[in-house]
Amino acid sequence: MSAFASTGFGRSAITILVAAAVLLLLPLVASSFVLHVATIGFYYVILAASWNLLAGYTGQFSLAHHAFAAVGAYTSGLLGYHWGISFWIGIPAGVLLSAAMGFVLGRLVLKMRAIYLAIATWAFAETVHVYLTADYQFTRGELGLSVKPLFGSVDPLKYYFLFLGLTVVLLIGMRALIDSPLGYFMRAIKDDELRAKSLGIDTTKVKVAIFSLSSAIAGLAGGFYAHYTVLLSPQMIDFSEMAKIVIMVVIGGFGTFLGPIIGAAPVQVVMTYLQSWGEWNLAVFALIVIVLMRFSMEGIAAVFTPLWRRMWRDG
Amino acid sequence: MAVALEAIALNKRFNNLQASNNVSLAVEQGEIRGVIGPNGAGKTTLVNLVTGVYKADSGDVKLAGESIVRCDMHEIARRGLVRSFQVTRLFGSLTVAENLRTAFLARRPTDGGDGGAQIDSMLDLTKLRPLANTQAKKLSGGQRALLQMGCGFMVPGSCYVLDEPFSGINPVIKDSIIEMILDVNRRHNATFLIVSHEMTIIRRLCPKVTVMMEGKVAAHGSLDEVARLPEVIAGYLGKALE
Repeated sequence: MSAFASTGFGRSAITILVAAAVLLLLPLVASSFVLHVATIGFYYVILAASWNLLAGYTGQFSLAHHAFAAVGAYTSGLLGYHWGISFWIGIPAGVLLSAAMGFVLGRLVLKMRAIYLAIATWAFAETVHVYLTADYQFTRGELGLSVKPLFGSVDPLKYYFLFLGLTVVLLIGMRALIDSPLGYFMRAIKDDELRAKSLGIDTTKVKVAIFSLSSAIAGLAGGFYAHYTVLLSPQMIDFSEMAKIVIMVVIGGFGTFLGPIIGAAPVQVVMTYLQSWGEWNLAVFALIVIVLMRFSMEGIAAVFTPLWRRMWRDG
Repeated sequence: MAVALEAIALNKRFNNLQASNNVSLAVEQGEIRGVIGPNGAGKTTLVNLVTGVYKADSGDVKLAGESIVRCDMHEIARRGLVRSFQVTRLFGSLTVAENLRTAFLARRPTDGGDGGAQIDSMLDLTKLRPLANTQAKKLSGGQRALLQMGCGFMVPGSCYVLDEPFSGINPVIKDSIIEMILDVNRRHNATFLIVSHEMTIIRRLCPKVTVMMEGKVAAHGSLDEVARLPEVIAGYLGKALE
């Protein structure tokens, strides 16, 4: 135990499990609306954390992450709607398709630098958006695609536990990835790709692998999301969805493990309660992001780092 | 003796500049070869051609007899040809220890473990242990050079190509780097190709040097031999070495 707690991975895993144990008790005191907000919050934690792997750790500032969540959601939704196929097949199919599309997109943007990569990935997302809207006879477009709920009803309680469990498993997995050799290579590529190559790192392979992996995770989250919200619309690929992911990660701490976790939930909660402000609430957050990017990319996580060190009594 | 690294008639043109003009050289296994010449002579271009940063317009590069001229940079590194950069390149946001670990993992031998022991001994050898948890971007120029060199030696390579490893560093760190080079050379019979302007160090390390001028190889030989050639004096040294 003490040896486990002396590694970054061990400490993070313990902390995640303790937090999850506390969150298991939330339904005892919370209303079902609160559970609903928290469930959607978990969905965004997964999206933010998986985008952070790609953008924050590997330096590939993709603006297509929300599109992969939609690919996962629509794949399972459409398979069920048209052919009555169960989510047991639908969700894995969505994950595979997201991973495959992530692989292809990752290869296409391989040589692109920051802003060009952002524009190309954004264009890809818009293409998916336009397709889902335009081919309404198949996708139901703006009419909305109805999807069967996972547990027969849409009472948030079961979905809350499901998303909590999914988030815990994925976060621990991502933490293990960051501490693995691949995690070192990701950070190396973000810092200096030429140097990484000169040391013998196959940067092409690493970048494409992370593109596929983060897309697959988004697709997985999207698949479950579809079977909870039960009505999908191209709104899912509105640019504001991507903006939300970026805002969550930057406010929480870009390129830090903690960042997306502590950024996503509060941003989601505040946005839910500020919904009456409409698009303005996005503008307010955008302003916060600009200020944070100017002064510190480590967001709220920067505040927690010293506390974290003290908690484990080092340095 | 076997040839470890061989450049054969390398050509590289940038717009109107013939940066590398029919450059050939062969370095034997275990040799420490110096490359000298005035600025703009094509020394760094040669380094970049040999290590795969640039693709040659024509010509070949052989490492231990095998052609590597079509290989990607990372494949060349994995075959054991390791380089350093003239302007030190490190992973700035990673700590000193993480830089060493990344270098280890990138070329890790199959039964290599996590590199803990190698990192430990490299921190001692470079005397960077007090800075092990400091981000590389916070190091001084000399410390950066030392760390870059240390990263190269984390997994012993068969051949090292070092571009100006001694420029802008204080004498103490220069000595540490020289010792590291000699140590790896002796223990692993590693081959070195060292680009440098530091004549005293070149004389000490390299029995043989290659002089480059205007993209071409102007001469091969011991430093004292080439330093007597009139064209080398005229084009580079300015006056005879004492």
